[in-house]
Amino acid sequence: MANLLEEIQESVINGQAPKVKELTQKALDQGMEPQTILNEGLIPAMSTVGEKFQKGEFFISEMMISARAMYAGLNLVKPLLLSQKTESKGKAVVATVQGDLHDIGKNLVCMMLEGGGYEVVDLGVNVTPDKFVEAVKEHQPNFVMMSALLTTTMSSMEKTIKALMENGLREQVKIGVGGAPVTQRYADSIGADFYAADAGEAVSKANLLLNLAAK
Amino acid sequence: MGMTHHERVMTALHRGQPDQVPWMENDIEEALQVQIMGGADFTPPELAEKLGLSALGAHFPTGAASDGQGLVTKETYKESYYNPKKVTFDFFPPWIAKMGADPETGRTYIEKGLLVSEESLKLFDEFLPDPHHPGRYDKVNAWLKQYKGDYAVFARIRLGAASTIESMGLDEFSYAQVDNPELIHKIHRRFSEWSAEVVDHLNEMDIDFFWANDDLAGNQGPFMSPKVFRELMLPNMKLVADRIKKPWIFHSDGNLFPIMEDLLSLGMTAVHPIQPAAMDIGKMKREYGHRVAIVGNIDLDYTLPLGSVEEVDAEVKNRIMTAGPGGGYIISSANSLTDYCKLENVLAMSEAIKKYGKYPLEG
Repeated sequence: MANLLEEIQESVINGQAPKVKELTQKALDQGMEPQTILNEGLIPAMSTVGEKFQKGEFFISEMMISARAMYAGLNLVKPLLLSQKTESKGKAVVATVQGDLHDIGKNLVCMMLEGGGYEVVDLGVNVTPDKFVEAVKEHQPNFVMMSALLTTTMSSMEKTIKALMENGLREQVKIGVGGAPVTQRYADSIGADFYAADAGEAVSKANLLLNLAAK
Repeated sequence: MGMTHHERVMTALHRGQPDQVPWMENDIEEALQVQIMGGADFTPPELAEKLGLSALGAHFPTGAASDGQGLVTKETYKESYYNPKKVTFDFFPPWIAKMGADPETGRTYIEKGLLVSEESLKLFDEFLPDPHHPGRYDKVNAWLKQYKGDYAVFARIRLGAASTIESMGLDEFSYAQVDNPELIHKIHRRFSEWSAEVVDHLNEMDIDFFWANDDLAGNQGPFMSPKVFRELMLPNMKLVADRIKKPWIFHSDGNLFPIMEDLLSLGMTAVHPIQPAAMDIGKMKREYGHRVAIVGNIDLDYTLPLGSVEEVDAEVKNRIMTAGPGGGYIISSANSLTDYCKLENVLAMSEAIKKYGKYPLEG
């Protein structure tokens, strides 16, 4: 059984979607818990992918290919987890901010979060502060993560944080920001909780904050 | 007697030391041009004169107001390509993609790439203009006569990499690396063959150099692995590069260091823009400055749009002192002058280049 999990991990890292699907089905048929497949197969694999990306061993295309392979397994496991009412690790509302229509970075963050065991609410692109506020009220997430590619649209991040404050929602969530022009300095200046340089780091920082909250 | 703008640019492109560090921009968004000039009624050399730019290229609002990149529908693209209404020196193929436009700013963007299967390859015939159609070449020849003066003039082209990635979409482009690499090759080849035909015509014209815009990298590195780049992209890019008979600059945002050796095998004269968030211009100068000229890299993430005049001044000085020694350096923004740059910062950049850019450089 342990070998099967290792094979799943390896196939996700190698980006082999059909193989991941086949192995996941095999694991389920053998009676493995869906939660085990997720926690000990798919999640560690995507974590390795994120680390490889951070180290410059993997590139965006490879990360996307691995994410597709991860979904091939996740799509089999997810309905079973839902039917067992298994709690996800945490929930994140993710979007590209108002005025910005770029979705590659945001999509990668969504994929890596899902691959990291999080429930993701993807609001899409060009999302106004009001929509963030509504989403936080509706979904009660642990995290709000905002992406921007343009310097001009970064200011929407600050507006969104202000809108969450005005609606008394700021303290309920941890806010993460990222995107090409975004820096730690900028994140600090607008009062975000964290900055992530890439999608893998978004997950590792979220994990860190969850662990801190649990202590 | 100092050098002419043309001499200054050509000297620096060939890694020589001109009389002062030249300034040129891959693109200046038209809304910013209008701000700089106080209206749309000006000629390209008037804008260059006002800022102190040494090269002319890209596009200008002179003529009629229409969009810059020609990101229009396939029905209208060919006509607007053959008969541009306003001054342009661009020879880009269209994105073969579903385009969207932000209703507030009018800024166009790619909603979805349309080249996703063998079947979709027939779209090339619908979208690509005839590379031999005389329309645009005749117009550009007339503009060259009218405006060139002692400036260096560049034509913007693509080697096909960016066209391939954008027209497939990064997700389909990525998946095809595993599922159907041959599809990437075929798409790239069509774009590259088109550009090569265009380059044959441009080689015969009074253009001084090419600027090949092929964005293929993010802050961390190229979108694809160096292996995929080497096997699927590079041979097609080379098809165009080998046809170029003038100096040329390769442009891609992002971190190009992981594929720099492969890129340099294309034989470009210079690399642009050495994006500060992704690449260190000092490292670029030290490690590659003896092989290729450097064009860049005043920051567009913070300094030009958000920074102060003093910060612009300090950054210009820093870049000239870092990349300028010995020549082979042309200063520019780290992509283009967008309409969200502060006007005062663009003017401060102009002043600082004049102040610090004279050879011999004074530290």
